[in-house]
Amino acid sequence: MLGQSTTDKITSDLLRPIRLTKGFMAWMGFLGVSLVVCLGAYVIQLKDGLVVTGLGDYVSWGMYISNFVFFVATSLIGMLISAVLGLSGAKWASPLARIAEIIALAFAAVAGLVIVSDMGHPERLLNVFIHGRIQSPILWDVTVVTIYVLISALFLYIPLIPDLKICHDKLDKLPPFARNIYKVLSLNWTGSHEQEKIVKQLTRAIAIFIIPVALAIHTVTSWLFASTSRVGWDSTIFGPYFVTGAFVSGSAAVIIAMYFYRKNYKLEDYITLSHFDKMGKLLVLVSLVYLYFNLNEYMVPAYKMKKFDAIHIQSLFAGTHALMFWSIQIFGLVLPIILLVFNKMRKPLPMLIIASFVLVGAWFKRYIIVVPTQEHPFLPIQNVPLNFKVYSPTLIETLVTIAPFILVLLIITILSKVIPIVSIHETIEELEQKNK
Amino acid sequence: MLRKNIKLKVVFTVLLTALFYLQSAAQQGWDVPADKKVKNSYIKFDAASAKEGEAIYTKNCLSCHGNPTKDNSMKSLKPVPPDLSGAKTQQLTDGELFYILNTGRGLMPSFSNVLSESDRWKTIAYMRSFNSSYVQVLSKTDPTKSKLVKINMDYDSLKSVVRVHVTAAEKNGVVVLKNAEVTLFAARYFGRLQVDKTMRTDNNGMATFGFNKTLPGDKQGYVNMIVKVNDDNYGEIESQSKLKIGVPTDKPSLTEKRAIWNVLAKAPIWLIVLYTTGVLVFGAFLLFILYSLFRIKKSGKN
Repeated sequence: MLGQSTTDKITSDLLRPIRLTKGFMAWMGFLGVSLVVCLGAYVIQLKDGLVVTGLGDYVSWGMYISNFVFFVATSLIGMLISAVLGLSGAKWASPLARIAEIIALAFAAVAGLVIVSDMGHPERLLNVFIHGRIQSPILWDVTVVTIYVLISALFLYIPLIPDLKICHDKLDKLPPFARNIYKVLSLNWTGSHEQEKIVKQLTRAIAIFIIPVALAIHTVTSWLFASTSRVGWDSTIFGPYFVTGAFVSGSAAVIIAMYFYRKNYKLEDYITLSHFDKMGKLLVLVSLVYLYFNLNEYMVPAYKMKKFDAIHIQSLFAGTHALMFWSIQIFGLVLPIILLVFNKMRKPLPMLIIASFVLVGAWFKRYIIVVPTQEHPFLPIQNVPLNFKVYSPTLIETLVTIAPFILVLLIITILSKVIPIVSIHETIEELEQKNK
Repeated sequence: MLRKNIKLKVVFTVLLTALFYLQSAAQQGWDVPADKKVKNSYIKFDAASAKEGEAIYTKNCLSCHGNPTKDNSMKSLKPVPPDLSGAKTQQLTDGELFYILNTGRGLMPSFSNVLSESDRWKTIAYMRSFNSSYVQVLSKTDPTKSKLVKINMDYDSLKSVVRVHVTAAEKNGVVVLKNAEVTLFAARYFGRLQVDKTMRTDNNGMATFGFNKTLPGDKQGYVNMIVKVNDDNYGEIESQSKLKIGVPTDKPSLTEKRAIWNVLAKAPIWLIVLYTTGVLVFGAFLLFILYSLFRIKKSGKN
């Protein structure tokens, strides 16, 4: 058994961030003001329609849909860290599980809203449910994203139940209503053998169930593109290509979150250098797999250079999109892989910088997948205005694109203010097992 | 030497430019035959006909010619389609406008088989509504006379020809329409397919069209045939009849069976099964979780 003092120290360490601080208020204020500005832009879009964006007849999926793909992608990390690593017995990852789950839930929940921002008439979203055809990947996407959001919420909640009880017991300075919420949510947790058994069983069941669901959401997202016969999208490897890409952006997001939690919440004893080291290696692994898929995705059509593929490939490799394309591949993928191979680079600060490059690269990568294809339409039309063929996002569109990021940050900030972001219950339990 | 070369180039350039301008100048005028020039409308150009004409104009002409008086025609076309309220257009006679509308030229399509005669005149009525100094000269043709015309159509399968016989039931007996312009069409999914050339009736009021037997018909081989007759006395008359003239074709409609592209009610079975199973499995899983959470709560109470 652990000494009472160790248990108390862990509990108080991990509960310490759950209080209002000046820093928190300032950060929330900043997020709130930014959100209001972005929502103002959205109100203009709602009033005047999508004409305020750079979208048109040719490029009708611009930054919004790129953003959607990015959000869905990043949300997959919950499945990789909590489910795949958890089930395979990689114990080191368990303190990161909750961070990954919070990120997953926030990005998945907001992804649905991102889609709505791409609609000039958001109320027509109901038409998907009223007139939806199950033959359409759009309906599958709406279905699996909804399921994933629910499952992710449960995956976050169920292992949290024992911690909620601890929150209720220990956070005696909180107002009664807040403690009551913890009490209700902790479902009469006593830590009995039976309760422990059920939570273990449920966590395991969700961990298994979430893997196909997570694979499904991003595969179906890729099918939104791959089920058309358009150059650049008409690919058989789009499913795994998207999924592996998702692990890259998700891992980067987790690393960035780890850095700030560790620093701001003073969790150096829980999110250790070893975690950064291992996450660095994980990022190298998933990036290598993604690089391999990139090679396939571009090498095969570039070798054959079929008529329309050639135009597309040309614009990516040496044309209008070349600068973005090569920057993403080099600064967002190749250089991070090379750098992270070195021990020195797998330290918190260098990793924060590298992961930021990877994450930004991942966003632009979605843009490169979504936009250039549409600039080469199949149907030739005469006298097309230039702004149809060359997509350039407007300021309003950019603000509306930033809004979901603020929402995600808000959700992550609030969630990590009300729950311990490293599981207290599991940390104690694992220490006990180690000491046995 | 070099200077000589430049001089030659200049001469060539000037010559070519001059030729180009001459050619485009020749293109400017519409060579309207004298008899067509004096043709007049039997429809009175008033507010009502102009209003109907506006709808036709919006559908067929606006995209290139723009809104009259607004000078917003499609400038990227060569030659630039003129604003039809302009002086250049308005100084033309009704007959000339009608001819231009009928025949078309270059990028301007022919409307003789797209719009009926009355619709074409109404379009001109709309164009004239922008000209306050315009005074209409009505045609002496009696539009009710067209109702007397009777068109018969039959198919000679041995000779592969369609014969069209045009007569008019006048008070003093049936007369044949000689030298009337006859055009034959087969109705297709989109618009009309002209059969053979436009003919003129002979002295017996008969026009004969060669017919290609390979035209697909319906299940029994029927094709909807349309005859359009244009006569100086009787005006424009159209008649339709179904002839057993095409190749019997029985292609089930693409939306008849269950398919990925069909409506929800006709979705493929495998897809319905797969999707429903997925959703049901998730539903069952969700119930299992909720039940387990309930068990946790209950166990804590005891």
